[in-house]
This record gives sequence, C-alpha cells and structure tokens, in this order.
Amino acid sequence: MSAVLQNLVNQPYKHGFVTEIESEVAPKGLNEAVIRMISAKKKEPEWLLTFRLEAYKKWLSMTEPHWQNVKYPKIDFQSISYYSAPKSKKKFASMDEVDPELLRTFEKLGIPLHERAALAGVAVDVIFDSVSVATTYKERLAEVGIIFCSISEAVQKYPDLIKKYLGTVVPVGDNYYAALNSAVFTDGSFCFIPKGVKCPMDLSTYFRINTESSGQFERTLIIAEDGASVSYLEGCTAPRFDTNQLHAAVVELVALDNADIKYSTVQNWYAGDENGIGGIYNFVTKRGLAKGINSRISWTQVETGSAITWKYPSCILRGDNSVGEFYSVAVTNNYQQADTGTKMIHIGKNTRSTIVSKGIAAGHSNSSYRGLVRVTPTADGARNYSQCDSMLIGDQCGAHTFPYIQVRNNSAKVEHEASTSKIGEDQLFYFAQRGIGAEEAVSMIINGFCKDVFQQLPMEFAVEATKLLSFKLEGSVG
Amino acid sequence: MIDKDSKTLLEIRDLHATVNNIEVLKGINLTIKSGEIHAIMGVNGSGKSTLTKVLAGHSAYIVTAGSVMFEGKDLFELEPEERARAGIFLAFQYPIEIPGVANNQFLRLAYNTVQAQRGKEELDPLEFDDFVRDKMKLLEMNPEFLDRSVNEGFSGGEKKRNEILQMALLEPRISILDETDSGLDIDALRIVANGVNQIANKENAIILVTHYQRLLDYIVPDYVHVMESGRIIKTGGKELALALETRGYEWVSAENRTAEGVVS
Amino acid sequence: MNEAVCNDDYLANMLKTWSEPSTSTLPWLDQLRSEAVDCVNALKMPTTRDEEWRFTDISPLIKLPFQVAKEPSQLKIKDIDHFFLGEAKIRMVFVDGQYSPQLSCITHDNDIIVGNLSALISCHSSEIATHLGQYTDFKNNVFAALNTSYLHDGALILVPHNKSVTAPIHLLFISTQKEVTSYSRCLIIAESSSNVTVIEDYVALQEVTYVTNSVTEISIADNAQVNHIRIQRESDQAFHIADCTASLAQGSQYKSTSVALGARISRYDLNVKLADEGAECSINGLALIKGQQLADTHTFIDHIKPNGCSQQLHKCIVDDTAHAVFNGKIMVRPKAQCTNSTQSSRNLLLSGKAQVDTKPQLEIFADDVKCAHGATVGQLDNEEIFYLRSRGLSEITARNLLTYAFGAEILERIPVISLRHQLEQTVLKQTQRN
Repeated sequence: MSAVLQNLVNQPYKHGFVTEIESEVAPKGLNEAVIRMISAKKKEPEWLLTFRLEAYKKWLSMTEPHWQNVKYPKIDFQSISYYSAPKSKKKFASMDEVDPELLRTFEKLGIPLHERAALAGVAVDVIFDSVSVATTYKERLAEVGIIFCSISEAVQKYPDLIKKYLGTVVPVGDNYYAALNSAVFTDGSFCFIPKGVKCPMDLSTYFRINTESSGQFERTLIIAEDGASVSYLEGCTAPRFDTNQLHAAVVELVALDNADIKYSTVQNWYAGDENGIGGIYNFVTKRGLAKGINSRISWTQVETGSAITWKYPSCILRGDNSVGEFYSVAVTNNYQQADTGTKMIHIGKNTRSTIVSKGIAAGHSNSSYRGLVRVTPTADGARNYSQCDSMLIGDQCGAHTFPYIQVRNNSAKVEHEASTSKIGEDQLFYFAQRGIGAEEAVSMIINGFCKDVFQQLPMEFAVEATKLLSFKLEGSVG
Repeated sequence: MIDKDSKTLLEIRDLHATVNNIEVLKGINLTIKSGEIHAIMGVNGSGKSTLTKVLAGHSAYIVTAGSVMFEGKDLFELEPEERARAGIFLAFQYPIEIPGVANNQFLRLAYNTVQAQRGKEELDPLEFDDFVRDKMKLLEMNPEFLDRSVNEGFSGGEKKRNEILQMALLEPRISILDETDSGLDIDALRIVANGVNQIANKENAIILVTHYQRLLDYIVPDYVHVMESGRIIKTGGKELALALETRGYEWVSAENRTAEGVVS
Repeated sequence: MNEAVCNDDYLANMLKTWSEPSTSTLPWLDQLRSEAVDCVNALKMPTTRDEEWRFTDISPLIKLPFQVAKEPSQLKIKDIDHFFLGEAKIRMVFVDGQYSPQLSCITHDNDIIVGNLSALISCHSSEIATHLGQYTDFKNNVFAALNTSYLHDGALILVPHNKSVTAPIHLLFISTQKEVTSYSRCLIIAESSSNVTVIEDYVALQEVTYVTNSVTEISIADNAQVNHIRIQRESDQAFHIADCTASLAQGSQYKSTSVALGARISRYDLNVKLADEGAECSINGLALIKGQQLADTHTFIDHIKPNGCSQQLHKCIVDDTAHAVFNGKIMVRPKAQCTNSTQSSRNLLLSGKAQVDTKPQLEIFADDVKCAHGATVGQLDNEEIFYLRSRGLSEITARNLLTYAFGAEILERIPVISLRHQLEQTVLKQTQRN
C-alpha cells in the first residue's frame, strides 16, 4: 500500500519552461555601486537611495540565520544578479500590446490573463521577473480612489505615501533577508485603499521568476485607511532550473481603524526534482500591522512549491480589538523543506488571533510549523487559538511543531493544539469497500484535512489550490 | 427466503486464510443464493470477522487455499473497490472515522461510483441530497449527520446506522453485516433491523455475523451457521440460534467433537 | 593531566577546588571525572542567546562561584524529622551534599542494594560502572559535567531482577549552609521485571542563598517499573539546577511526578529515552511559584523504537512577578512506528505581572503514529466559577477551590500519601486569597 501512496504523491512539475524574452540583466554581485545603479535605473528619489544604502549597511553587519529547521548549501550572494528587466520598456495601453510570447507563458501557466481578469473581475498586476508590464482594471479602481500599481510607479507618482509607510512594518534591519530586500528590491505591488472604500474586486498579482539565477526581491506594500477593506491574491509559479534560486520578498500591510486586509497566497514555485536538485529558496518576510482599532489582518497561504520555504506571515495587533488570522496549508514532497508559521504579537486590548496550520509531508520532505504567540503586558483580554495539524504520507518524511507561547498578561487566554496523523490503510480500505479507489480517497482525505484553510480562500483560488494539491499528491495507482 | 428458483450469488469452497501468519480460516464451505439471509454465529476468535474481511479483500488477510466465486466470477481477482462496485458490501464492526471528509460528500461519491459502474445515472449534489434524506428516514437518522465528518464523533449506534444507510444507498447484491448489533440499544437495534429488512429482497442476500440471538428476533435468518476454530461446524435453521441462546455454544462444540470422534 | 583552566571565569572558579584523584583503586571512576573536567573546560556557561536557555537568565549564578561545603553540618534527627515520610522504610539523607549515615535509615531486609555510592562502589564496581555517567549527557550540559567532575558520592539504588520493593525509598537532600554548592547524585538501577518507588526530595533549613547541582540517572531494564517522585522545595533564594535521564528498555515503565516549589531560579532537565520496544512513560509536573521566582522545566521524551507510549501533563501556577518556563520536546524517530504520545502544558497566571513561556514541540519522523499536544495559558474558567457559584459558593471560595484543584491534579498522581498531604497543604496555603 505504501508503494501506492508513493506513486500518488509523485507528479512532475507542470510549469517547467523558460520564456524567451530578451532580458536586461545586471552583472552578478552586490556592492554599493549595484544599488546605486538599481536606484538610478528606476529614477528613484534620493531618500529611497538612502533607504537602500542604509539597509545594505545593516545587511553587511548581519549574518545569515540558522535557527530554522532547514538545510541548504551556503548561498553565494555575489553570484546572484540583482536586477533583471524585460527589455521592452514601453508602457502598454492594452493587453494587445503586451509581448505575445509573454501572454503565451501565462496561457501555459493556466492564467488566461485577459479572460481571467474579465470573467472573474480580477485586476491582475502582472509581475514578470521584476518589472511590472501590464495592469488591468486600473481605471475602474481609480474611480473609487484605489491605487493599485507597481511599487516603482508608486515611487514616482505617490512618493509621499511610499515614504510614509515603506519600512514601517518591516524595518530595513529586521532580518538578514529583509535587509537584503530593502537594499535591492526592484519591483512589486503597491495598493492603497482610501478611507471608507471597500475594494470592489479581489486584487491579484501573479509572480513568476523567469531568468536563471536572477534573485527576486519583490516589495509589496498595502495600505488600508480607516474603514477600508481589500482582498489581495498572490499566486506564484516559476519555471524549472537546476541551480537554486533565491526569492526574498518583503510584504508590508498596514490596516488603520476598522480596516480589513485579507492577503491570500498560492505558492507553487519549482520545488526541485525528485532527487532534491534545483528549486527555489523562498525566504520571505511578510508582516501586517493592525494599527487601528477594530482592524483586521488575515493571511491565508497554500504553500506547495519551492525547495525551501521559510516564511512567517505575521500580525502585529496594536489597535485595540484588532484581529489577526493565519490560515496555512504547506505541502512538501521529495526533498522539499518547509519551515513556516506565523507570529501574533498582541499589544492592544482585547486583541484576538487565530492560527490554523495544516502541514502535509510526503517523500523525504520535512515540514515544520513554527509559531509565536506573544501577549505583551498591555494586551488585556487578548485571545489566541492555534491549531496545528500534520499529516505524514510515507515513513521517510518528518513533521515538526514548534509553537512558542509567551504570555505577560494574566487576563489573556492562549490555547494551542496540535496533532499528527496519517492516511491509515484502514481508512483507504473503508473507502475501497465503498467502491472508491485509493487515488480519489487520498485526494478526499487531504482536501478534508485542509478544509478549514481552503474555506478562507476566495472561490477561484480555492479551486486552484484544490487542484494544486491533487497535482502534487495524485498519480497513477499501482 | 429460500426459493428453488434463486441463483447462486456466492460460493465459498474450502477457504483457508491467515492473519500475521496464523491460520484463522481452516476450510470454510458456504453457498449463498439470492433472497437468502444467513446468520453466522460463534464465539470470539472463531474466525467470523476474518471471513468478512477476506470477502471484502482486506490486505492484512492472506488467502492460502480455496476459492470464492461471486456470481460466477473469481472474487479474488478483484481489488477491494472492484468488489464493492460489483455489489459486495461490508458493514464494518468498527466503522473507521475519517476526519475532515463530510459524510454527504463521501456518500455521494460512493453512490455515484457504484451507479456509474452499473451504467446508471449519477446524481448531482442537490438530487443526491433529496435522495439520501429519504433513505435516512428509513433509519430515523437526523439529517445533520450529512454535514459531519464520516463517522467522526458518532456514537456506536450512529456509526452502525450510518453503515446501514450506505447499504441502503449502494443496493449491494450481498451485504455482510459484521456484528452490527453490538453496541446497539434495543430501540436502535429495532431501527437498524427494520432498515435491513426493507433492503432485503429476492435479488440480494444478507450475511449476518453475530454473537447473539436477539438480532435474529428482528431479522429472521433462513440459515444459521456456527463457526468454531475457522470452520463451520454446524448449520441449521433459525431454531439453531434459539438453541444456542439457551444451551450455549459448548454443546455444539461437544457434539462436533463427538461427531469427529466417530468419523476418525 | 587536567588543568583547571577554563574559557569561562565562573567555570574556572568552580573547578578551583577540583583535584586529580589521589586514589586510583577505581580507574574507571577517575577517568569519568577527568572526562567531565575536560567537558567543563570545553563548554561555556549558557546564556539567553542559547535556544535552550532563551527564557532563563542564569547570569546571577555567575556572580556566585560557591564551593562545596567544608564543614559538615551537625544536624540531629529532631532537626529534620518533620521531613520524614512514614511510608518510607529506607531513607538516605544528604546534608549540604554530604552523606549522613547518622540521619539515614537503611534496612537490609531484602536483596536490594541501597546506600551511598562511595561505600558501595568497591564491592559493586562493575554494576555501577555500567551505568554511572552513562546516561546523562554531560558532554553537552555544563552543569552535569561539573557535577560529574565532583562525583565522589551519591545515592545508589539497585533493585535486582524480579524484585518488587513495596515501600518507597526516600532520598532527602537538605541544605543548611549559605554560599555553598552541593553536588547531589543519584543512580537508580531497576533490573528486569523489578519495581521500585523513589522520592527525590530537596529541602532547606534556612532561607539563604546556595546552589544545588543535581544529576540523576535511572536505568530501567526489560519490563521493570520505576516510579520517580521529585520534590524541589529549596530556599526561595537558592539556585537549583538539575538533570535527570531515564533510559527505558523493552516493555518497561517510568512514571515521573516532579513538583517545583522553591528556589529563586530552578531548572530541571528531564530526558526520557524510550530505547526499546513497548516502553511507556508518564511524566507529570507542577511548578507553583511566586515572588521573583523562575522555574524552568525542560523535558525531552525520545521515542526510539516502535510501540512506545508517552503521556505528559505539565502545569504551572504563577503568582506575583514570577516566571515559569516549559519546554517539552517529543521526538519520534524513524523506527518508532506505532508510537502513541500526548502532551499537555497548562498554565495559570494569578497576577498581572506573572509571566509564562511555554513551548511544546513535536518532532515526528515516523508516519504511523498518534501524537498530539496542547498548551493553554490563562485564568480560571468562568464557566467553572459560575457553576460553583450557582451551587452557593462565594466567588472567592470558588476561585480558591479551582486554583487549588488545578495544582492538586498533579499531586494526586503521587502514590505516597503522607508526602501528598504535605504538598497539598503547601499548595493550599499558596493558592488561597481572601
């Protein structure tokens, strides 16, 4: 029966191809001159260059963290190219003007961009490597005062907003990779929802890493003003390469009074082959500041790709009555490693947080949940509930749970529960006795296991996530 | 009911099987025809449950000798799910809990799989909902069970009813009920038995595996078989069950020893 | 040829009085001590930068390089008899780390070997050498290494094959002097199919500052059972650093109930290795602390072979500005299929400035296992308070009752009635408000 399970979880990566679009790539290596070059290429104001250089200085003084439960060869930061831009520089008025090769890439990825955008009512800010090439629905959003554009565009058009918020949630020296990102980030998304506006549609960005050895350093900043709300979707796929690629994004969210930000991710970057060769290193810093009273920040993630995933989308619950949520599914197979979880920092009174984490490990992979719930002395009446479940498929993989609970206030209530289970042969037999084959049974059990998280995803993302899990865990039986 | 026009559904010949290298079935012979209800009785460890698992195809049970023909086909050629689709249904003694998988989702998938096999129409979620609710009335089941995970947190009686519900949905040719009466109070027993009786017809057959006579007050068997040490040592009509109830298993066993003694 | 030269001033000071053993009647023991000194020299004092010491700042200890007591304390039975337990027929008393035959009571009514190590070591050299220093990981634990460097005496309990010792054995460690470090050591060997209950009890006669450094090793052979009760009721100004390692053979059982009440800073490392098939352990702990106390419990339950079973319940009741730390790691190694493990950390904060850091951890490398853990931090359950009030209790009485009950759940697992009653009184006193 275990052979059946082994087959079920082995499924080749579907998105392995390179789009042949001419790229402009910076020489490998990192120094002050490269940073000045990036800043100059992007025609940035002086303060942003200062921001980058300060981050670079901090980065030089820092060392790579090693506490996470992942293993990988040392990264040579001087062998990475820190800038890569498609050469076609002109801005597009419509999708027709976009390089057809690029559009075909999206087709192959199963993202019929215009169709998807039109049918699903999703505005897609397409990031191809590091430069934003097309933005749809911008005008409709602009009508209600929403800004949704690339961060480089925002730097030019809305410098005051960027200056006010950039680096306020994730300071330049927050951690090694955040410092690196702050020094060299090339592009990403910016989203601003003004006071009282409920964003009329889900905002969506598809990221792709395309050029071999080009590190991706996305920077995303989302601001929801008083009473505003937005649901943001991030989807990631990357083509197959045999050298590992580093991805070190920073995402900052700020929710003011009564604001609501929901951030959903489906991550399916190349995970390496069945022998653990290749694959993306996904070292991401994501953090939301629930700054205002009654504000809410909700992270939902489905992590199926990358050779190494190392991320903790976090919430700083500063506003009284603010709410933080983290819903996560992490699936690892072959030699993948995932160390993911969240931090919930309770500062305001009556702040509440919920953590639901589902880890599925197959093959020789390792999946770790690492989470911190901290209740500071000011957080009277804080509440947290965490549930972290793991499922192992096969006997070569590992599942780990590292919850840190730090409570400094006696009116707080923190609850953590975790369990480990497997797909039992008795369960499969029960399905079989009712006429349901192993493949379908596994898929059903896994989807049931992840149900609490999938329910949090917007409809079309939930469908995609369910499919992804099936891709990942299905195959021929016998 | 015993009917001379009935067809043979299941033919077990000299069946031997092992679990963990221990021989548990040591030559079972049993023929089951359509329309019949058979009761298999015997003390713990006599091999009753093993027989049900072997028929359903559980991988832990290894058939070492003998044959089982199901409607003229070699049963052992079929995978467990193929047996289910062909019409063999096992109501488990201990139904498995499957957290996270909603009961209605599971029931519909199982139902549609079997329907597709029979070339019949599959039901969409709405049609199925009506259909299953109807069947649940038969078993006096609360519809809220549809939204809960399969068997998770169900009481013993609820699990058994859920098994019979599946039996009602899948309309098997042969239903094997493994100690369905255990853990049921008298009301639940009556409800489950009523359900089974309504499902029983001229085309199908039922095997009841039980320790006790009381289930047989409600579902009246045509044949009663007594198992001991992996063999059927006595076969009789429904009166045999009553005799067992009053005299215990020991007398059959003793009688069997005497008989064997005479033979050898 | 070890020289007491360290990379660390405190450790150097601690080894100042260490000397090469003059007698070499037991070369293996000399070698063990020398190895331990090498380890002390190679190791550093932990700081809060070390993950295992993240929440426990032991830097105050560094200012207190206390040496072992020079003068034995002249205690009489009447000074300490209130600590005695009626059920215990065998009692070994150590005063400031020194064995006291006068205060001890050892009956030789059966085949068990019990007494102080230095008296028994020559005639049982081979049995002792097989176990002593073989379980505690002193290569990575500087305190265990220090203890082993100074290993001259200790408590030895050896229960032979098939022997069931019905009366509990009481190991009483009494501190009487300020500014000394006591190295206490216990070795418990339960041979196959034997059964024994041991109480390790740390008490103080004065509220003064001193250091206890304790190491306990427990070897449990096939199908043997050890019930280990550990009470730490040191002076509120003391430092108590302890390490206990139990190694479980096939089908054996280990039950541990530890209660931490005293010490300014206490740290207890409990390592349980389920080294062979079908071993079972039940680990229960209570830390009841107040004032500025810090109580840190680290447990590591290591499932190495199949069909093991572990159950753990750890509770902390924290008052004033006290700080409780719990780190419970459960490891299920690749071969340990069919492991069943549950762990629960429950914490009650009685004051606004009390702190708790809890980190239950699961590390699972086998798929056919059942593992679950849970942790809660909070106050008393309002529903429970309401229930009691609806039965006529005042709110304060209801709270007192529930707080007491929270701690008593652990005490109930202590099979020695007189000890349980003593502790119940302590918990009652400390959990009642007006």
